[in-house]
Amino acid sequence: MTPSTPKLAIPFVRFELRCGAVLVVSPRPSAPIVSIHIHVRGGPALDPPRRNGMAFLTGALADQGTKRRSEEEIAAALEPEGGEIAGDAGGLSGSIVNERWEMLVDLLAEILTSASYPAPEVARQKQRLLDRLVVEKDDPRVQGGLLFRKLVYGDHWLGRASRGTLESLPRIDARSLRAFRESNWVGRRAVIAVCGDVLPESVRRRFDRVLAKWEPGEPYVPSTPSFPPVARRVDAFTAKRQQVHLYVGHLGIARNDPDYAALVLMDHVLGTGPGFTNRISRRLRDELGLAYSVSANIHASAGLLPGTFTAYIGTSPQHLATAAAGFVEEIRRVQTELVGKDELEVAKSYLIGSFPLGFERASRRASYLVSAELHKFAPDHLERLLAEFAAVSAEDVRRVARAHLFPDGSCIAAAGPIGRAELVKKVSPRPGRARTTRR
Amino acid sequence: MRRSTGTKPAVKAGARIREHRLENGLTVLLAERHLDPVVAVMLWYRVGSRDEEEREAGVSHFLEHMMFKGTRSIGKGEIDRLTTSLGGMNNAFTTADHTAYWFEFASDRWEKALEIEADRMRHLLLDPAEFDSEKKVVLEELAMGDDDPWRVLTREVQLALFKRHPYRRPVIGFTDSLKAMRVEDMRDYYQRFYGPTNAVLVICGDFEPQKALAAARRQFGRIAGKTDAAPRAPYRPALEEPAGEFRVEVRWDDEGRRLCMAWPTVSVGTDEDWALDLASTLLAGGKLSRLYRRLVVEQRLATSVSSHNDSRVEAGIFWLFVEAAQGVDPRRLERAVDEELERLAAKEATAAELTRAKRLIAAGEAHESETVSDIAEDLGEFAVDARWQLALSALDRIAAVPASAVRACAAKLLVPQRRVVGWCLPRAGAGKRPRPKP
Repeated sequence: MTPSTPKLAIPFVRFELRCGAVLVVSPRPSAPIVSIHIHVRGGPALDPPRRNGMAFLTGALADQGTKRRSEEEIAAALEPEGGEIAGDAGGLSGSIVNERWEMLVDLLAEILTSASYPAPEVARQKQRLLDRLVVEKDDPRVQGGLLFRKLVYGDHWLGRASRGTLESLPRIDARSLRAFRESNWVGRRAVIAVCGDVLPESVRRRFDRVLAKWEPGEPYVPSTPSFPPVARRVDAFTAKRQQVHLYVGHLGIARNDPDYAALVLMDHVLGTGPGFTNRISRRLRDELGLAYSVSANIHASAGLLPGTFTAYIGTSPQHLATAAAGFVEEIRRVQTELVGKDELEVAKSYLIGSFPLGFERASRRASYLVSAELHKFAPDHLERLLAEFAAVSAEDVRRVARAHLFPDGSCIAAAGPIGRAELVKKVSPRPGRARTTRR
Repeated sequence: MRRSTGTKPAVKAGARIREHRLENGLTVLLAERHLDPVVAVMLWYRVGSRDEEEREAGVSHFLEHMMFKGTRSIGKGEIDRLTTSLGGMNNAFTTADHTAYWFEFASDRWEKALEIEADRMRHLLLDPAEFDSEKKVVLEELAMGDDDPWRVLTREVQLALFKRHPYRRPVIGFTDSLKAMRVEDMRDYYQRFYGPTNAVLVICGDFEPQKALAAARRQFGRIAGKTDAAPRAPYRPALEEPAGEFRVEVRWDDEGRRLCMAWPTVSVGTDEDWALDLASTLLAGGKLSRLYRRLVVEQRLATSVSSHNDSRVEAGIFWLFVEAAQGVDPRRLERAVDEELERLAAKEATAAELTRAKRLIAAGEAHESETVSDIAEDLGEFAVDARWQLALSALDRIAAVPASAVRACAAKLLVPQRRVVGWCLPRAGAGKRPRPKP
């Protein structure tokens, strides 16, 4: 079987705006929606000590008012035109019906440069988030995920709750949000991506005009990250529920890792391929009926910093030991046996053939263009990536599995009707069994 | 081909739509759009939990799972393998009224979807060992839902809303009905409901219509249609008008206070259905909606509010969901909601407010028609539940609804004596867990 490559082109034009921001515009004739993503480098890495959630609130509450408009006036301008704006720790994004794209540019620019964080609105929205966190502190799904990140990343900001905590949020006020925005949301840290039925030069002119007074500031300089060593760490969040959420994994890879393409293939063989084409779903869900939701993946969380390798299952407590052993055995199998030719070809065919399917939405294209700029992808990156997928061999898959997966050094977090001691007992390998493979 | 629409195709989000009917009764909707080199194929069956007997609750959804477990000619796991090897995607879903199967492929290889769908329309294997294995998966899916307080609350409210009609039951069924289910029961169900007369095929995207129709005829044309146009459905009790307000309470191990209100409403595509779309948007659509402004912004009684006009084939449900802010007395929150409902029923919305709601719905439609799968889903759902043409005319119909009709609809349908009020409240001792460290 020879994978063929459907045509996919995401043409774009790159500009450097006068304020120092990078603007990437991808024209898409006849598209009904225009999508704009504004990424500001830094994000939660810049959260001050004991104030995690600052970057998130700066983005999330940016639409609560500007020097010119109240939150209600912003909504009144946007909603009847079919527009929406949202913010988070990475910046702002918005979409609108295509013919109103200029209005969206103007509003996003106004928010970006003059969000005023009115004290009453900040207090109200912060309280909403605190109320949500109070409820979530008993939610095993949320707490299991947080626990796993804490085990993997330790005290690094990636191990913290990016939305903040019940303790950190009260330390953040309107004044500190304004100060954070003014210091960190500056032109030279921003990447703006636009996708829709637009002319790139028109978009460039508009942004240059509305961001003319935006402070260029200083580029963001990331610090060298430090993470705990890859080693077995186990913890549990106990709650009365029917299912246990089990997370098994460790520190993963950054997006620029040279093994990225081979690891994507490995993921599809091991735990990401659609339906039951991946081994972990086939075994734990299809054959053993242990779960509705099960997966394993290392490439999806890869970014400028390392993501995680995460194997996840939501299952009944009596199946936990079988599920954990199944993860380990399948990881060992992909590390020791060569992937069969058919299995590899199916994964390649899927990755190559399905590529256009993911890019129908304007927001997906805008998001890709931001990533491409952050990671300095070459203009022909997509084409090259497909060629890299096609070139991956069975030996490559085994090699990268050995190099990047550490079943003995995996952190294990579980949340649900289980305590830490019981978890340790259930996931400890029995002597002589740890290295057996199923087939 | 027995019947086609006229020479001028209808258009939705840039897709040119034509309807055809094969000799065996299969409806084929071709929606041609060339924006991306992608084709979505959806096969819709007019069967869902509404068609189940009480003892077989959950069989429609369980059968949907089994449709991926092999046919006489396609082995177990082969549907996923074929889809994947062609770089495609597939999935399926079940509701109270219908079951739908979805494929998306690049436009040079999409016809494989027709081959698979035609094969499993008639030749599903239903192997007993696979049936037993997949039953465990469905029970785990049910357990997953039972860990979600909103799902548990809405299930209890829905059970109370319809006293006898199958709309009361959750689509996934119950633990006891699933455990007792036999493969023979499922085979009978499959044979009753899966056939060309009870299905609508939607093909949307970058294809040539004549070739697509020929491919559909080639794959499905040889399947014999049933003589009876509509499959045998169970005895269904009539929908009863509620005899008064009913209240349910669920306790949960967290500090959330969740409110769910529900009213029985109307069939999809009726005049009141469009009016309820507007009522829903006026109440909870966007940051300028009445309930968001009052409950979340002005009085800080709630952290979130949403509503949903869930119109179905025989009747609908109007849902209202509110999560209370911490420390707020549930009775105070409920009073505020009631006052807004009373206002909606008593006084017409202003022209500006109604215009905002109509434009918000129109914008939502643009967002929800961005991909070929979006369009296929909209067409297919209207086709099996009512008429596919409603997917094209819905916005015009909503635009034509006057403020007086929204008010009248709220006064008739969204009143306390017709509703179920459900609360999910903290169990005694909930929230005593120490707070996580920063």
